[in-house]
Amino acid sequence: MRNRVAPIGLVIIVASLATALLAPRLVPYDVRAMAPQASLAPPGGQHLFGTDEFGRDVFSRVLVGSRVSLVVAFFSVATAVGLGTTVGLTAGYYGGWWDGVSMRGMDIIFAFPAILLAIAIMAVLGTSLLNLVIAIGIVYTPQFARVARAAALTVRSLEFVDAARALGLGNARIIGRHLIPNILAPVIVQVSLSLSLAILSESALSFLGLGTQPPTPSWGNMLSEGRQFLELAPWNAVFPGLAIMLVVLGFNLLGDGLRDLLDPRLR
Amino acid sequence: MQRYLATRLLALIPVLLGILTVVFVLIRLIPGDAVQLFLGTQVELTPEQMVELRRFFGVDKPMHAQYVDYLSRIVRGDLGVSLRTSRLVLDDILQRLPLSFQLATLALVVAMLIAVPLGIASAVTRNSALDVLARIGGLLGLSMPSFWLGAMLILVFSRYLHISIGQYVPLTQNPLGTLQSLYLPSLALGAAIAAILMRYVRSSLLEVLGQDYIRTARGKGLRAAAVMLRHALPNAMIPVITVLGFQMGYLLGGTVVIEEIFALPGMGRLVLQAIFQRDYPVVQGVVLVIALLFVVTNLVVDLLYAWIDPRIRYA
Amino acid sequence: MRVRWWMWLVVMALVLPVLPVRAGPAGTTFTIGVDQEVVGLDPNLVTAFSSFRRIDFLYNKLVRYNDRLLIEGDLAESWEFPDPRTAVFRLRRGVKFHSGAEMTSDDVKFTLERVLDPATRSPGRSFVDVITSIETPDRYTVRLKMQFPLASLLSGLASANLSIVEKAAVQRSGNLQRTVAGTGPFMLAEWVPDNFMRLVKNPNYFRQGLPKFDTLILRVIPDQASLLAGVRTRALDMATINQGAVITQARRESGIVVMQKAGLNLRIFAFNTTRPPYTDARVRYAFSFAIDRNVIVNTAEFGYAAVSGPVPASTPWATPAGRFTSYTQNVARARQMLSEAGYPNGFATRIVTSPTYEGGIAVAQVIQEQLRAIGVNATLETIEWGTYINRWVARDFDTMIELRGGDPDPDRFLYRTFHSTGAVNNFLFKDGGIDRLLERGRVNLETDARRPIYDELQRALIEAAPALFLYTPMETQVLQGYVRGFKIIGNGALYFLEEASVER
Repeated sequence: MRNRVAPIGLVIIVASLATALLAPRLVPYDVRAMAPQASLAPPGGQHLFGTDEFGRDVFSRVLVGSRVSLVVAFFSVATAVGLGTTVGLTAGYYGGWWDGVSMRGMDIIFAFPAILLAIAIMAVLGTSLLNLVIAIGIVYTPQFARVARAAALTVRSLEFVDAARALGLGNARIIGRHLIPNILAPVIVQVSLSLSLAILSESALSFLGLGTQPPTPSWGNMLSEGRQFLELAPWNAVFPGLAIMLVVLGFNLLGDGLRDLLDPRLR
Repeated sequence: MQRYLATRLLALIPVLLGILTVVFVLIRLIPGDAVQLFLGTQVELTPEQMVELRRFFGVDKPMHAQYVDYLSRIVRGDLGVSLRTSRLVLDDILQRLPLSFQLATLALVVAMLIAVPLGIASAVTRNSALDVLARIGGLLGLSMPSFWLGAMLILVFSRYLHISIGQYVPLTQNPLGTLQSLYLPSLALGAAIAAILMRYVRSSLLEVLGQDYIRTARGKGLRAAAVMLRHALPNAMIPVITVLGFQMGYLLGGTVVIEEIFALPGMGRLVLQAIFQRDYPVVQGVVLVIALLFVVTNLVVDLLYAWIDPRIRYA
Repeated sequence: MRVRWWMWLVVMALVLPVLPVRAGPAGTTFTIGVDQEVVGLDPNLVTAFSSFRRIDFLYNKLVRYNDRLLIEGDLAESWEFPDPRTAVFRLRRGVKFHSGAEMTSDDVKFTLERVLDPATRSPGRSFVDVITSIETPDRYTVRLKMQFPLASLLSGLASANLSIVEKAAVQRSGNLQRTVAGTGPFMLAEWVPDNFMRLVKNPNYFRQGLPKFDTLILRVIPDQASLLAGVRTRALDMATINQGAVITQARRESGIVVMQKAGLNLRIFAFNTTRPPYTDARVRYAFSFAIDRNVIVNTAEFGYAAVSGPVPASTPWATPAGRFTSYTQNVARARQMLSEAGYPNGFATRIVTSPTYEGGIAVAQVIQEQLRAIGVNATLETIEWGTYINRWVARDFDTMIELRGGDPDPDRFLYRTFHSTGAVNNFLFKDGGIDRLLERGRVNLETDARRPIYDELQRALIEAAPALFLYTPMETQVLQGYVRGFKIIGNGALYFLEEASVER
């Protein structure tokens, strides 16, 4: 089943990325154009997904919103992966004082309640896309550090590493050739989980007023704005919600599939 | 064992100190004057009054002086007073801690009640329709924001079932009331966690079921149920307990939005408002307490891990 | 089918929400949902609207507004102005504080002095700082002498910040943030912060037969949709709702009564008149022609507001908004005015707003769009509330969306907001002509003489445009159908709940 389902995930992700890239050309309406007389119109007719309280087209906003949500998701996780695996790999491989210090640092970040840390960082830096990426990236760094470190520790103790060193291979080569392939599997699993969490974090931050700010649409802020219309005009929240669910589903399916592909134990 | 415990406890101290420092600096970096916020827009003060007020709030000294001052008081167990309400921070925290703890526990219970049976069924009937359905359900649970689920639950319960969200009452006053008021929030939180847990239960169980000692047990003639309950499940649950520990920590501080929607006076709301109002002592105190609880919980989980493991290996 | 142990768990789980909890206190209990917790209860000190709502129940003032926005006596039985600079109040006799002690002119004098003392930092000070002396010729008479006649004196005394407190209690406790020293219809029984506040009936309340409830519970529910859910399920008897979408939903439901009345708060688009291009009044005035206030009201407030000038539209002093030329959208004229001021192609600017509380983010978005038509490219600076307050105080903004508290008497709001020495004149606006009008308007006690002054003032303020005046949102209370006797005032005050009763 897994091998049948993973490609579905891939399709979803590719479609989302394509949508995000092409969004400005695909949208039937300007995402900021207000049409007060068409306020809260139900789906159908001129507006595929209906309109919000300002008369803005929900379909266009969902399409453009994909850009923010996907950018936040990918770049924050990329930040977390970059920072986390670097720290974790070096900590596990070299050990010593660097291991102690850096992992304590990771522990500190990890012990912070995630949402509170994100809130605090956003409050300090201000609400912008870059800052969202930084905040969420920092919050998810410790997970990758741990995963990378655990993998590095396992590999380091293997004999072929000593053999490689005896042959004169530098540390960088060893890390590149032997460590990195081994941490791929757990990191990929973690990535798919983190991508989903990143999108959900952006949504929660928007609910508290600290995520993407209007009038720029993001699935997160559309979801939280749409909450007040849950009974009056549910389409405002349902469609961005479905979009989030679809993309997260895609990430998870793809992640599962990749893990099964890469993890020799489960073959 | 004692040495392990001692080293772990010692390792806690730099972490807690680090957290305290990070919070201390971070919240003071947020632009905005605590005193001015306290006054709001309606009151005008002379510069002398401002100075006086700042001294009263303790924000007139340079940051490092405030830091040292704060550390020395922490060591004595004094978490300070709220800039906003002049109440003792410790009192506020102790008042709200039970709710956060109860909510976290209930959410985990709900999650386990959903995740364990589904995870077992999923692992046992591998790749069947039930497995697929359960995994899809799990993915859906993962992808839905918990506050969204909470909002939907409130809508359904109030509009269609005419059941209200109860007002929170402490456990000592009226346990039934407590359970009622935490019913919906723990469902909303538990669903998402159940999804995560279920995957771990499933994969862990699959791994265990493939082990030799399971085949031995079956070979000895034990019924499937007994095999599951006495050998497979306990082993499979070990990594799951670790995850539970992490979730507990997340739940203790990360339920802000749920608390807002369900009107629960928990620590999440306390610290959120404190951040927005630059109530430094409250933020520092709450984060410290939450971090402490998180770290202690994980320590307990690790100890349990270490304690359980060798015993089972010889079972 | 055999009944297994886990089936009991399932049944219990399903039944749990509907099990009755232990019964509440004896007698009638009335539960109100509020969306904000209060920090303190000291009437002379607090500034937040939410705090005033609690003080409504615990304290009384010398005079208060009735539901027709006319002044009536509260603790004062009668009053007179022997000369324009003197006011004499005769107090009711036999009014008891919650402590049992009688309220006398001593307490009134103490309260006024407390408010007037700069060290107290009372927000109400500017309402009554014209008072130079307070005399108490006998236990039930207070004579105030003023520096100059002040038409808004009674209005100022009707403010919650001027609630009369018990002198002995303040001298005992220092401040009243946690303890209550009032004469109000209810007394504080229990306060669990962020959860609820329980008030009990004051048996010695001076209005006979009131209040009609034995217990009043104020439950803090921050989320508006959850407030409505509470009313719908009868967990709450009443709730104050201000989110337009939720109000619309409430109106569609049977069994729930939605009471609405024109309000007194004013939504404005503020300019920092010291920052170019807003140093030029033509640019500011041009904006007034560029926007469409009706659209703003319909989209940002779902229509639950009245377009207004500088004086809240609901008060008798207000010039009907239709009479202001700039209130009819005229994009062409706006562009022309900008051209004349030197900006034929518009310019870029920033609008400060906040997603929470009174930050007006919906309004900001509409105005942002409407300004595009005249070539003004506005970027929204959306900041959280704490930063918003800071920027306000520091006057660090180009333009800003604000909500100001208005008043039935035009002077109380206009003077402190638009006089060059005004306490909350964060537009840094200085106009000698308007200053003089404000000064004349406040010292004249005759309505007929004041009216032309305020007509002129409204016109002048609209043209000088230190801010764009947008609308006054309606006050909305959502109640169960079985609540009788509550009167909605328009300024959000809830003290008429003392006359309300339930018929289940």
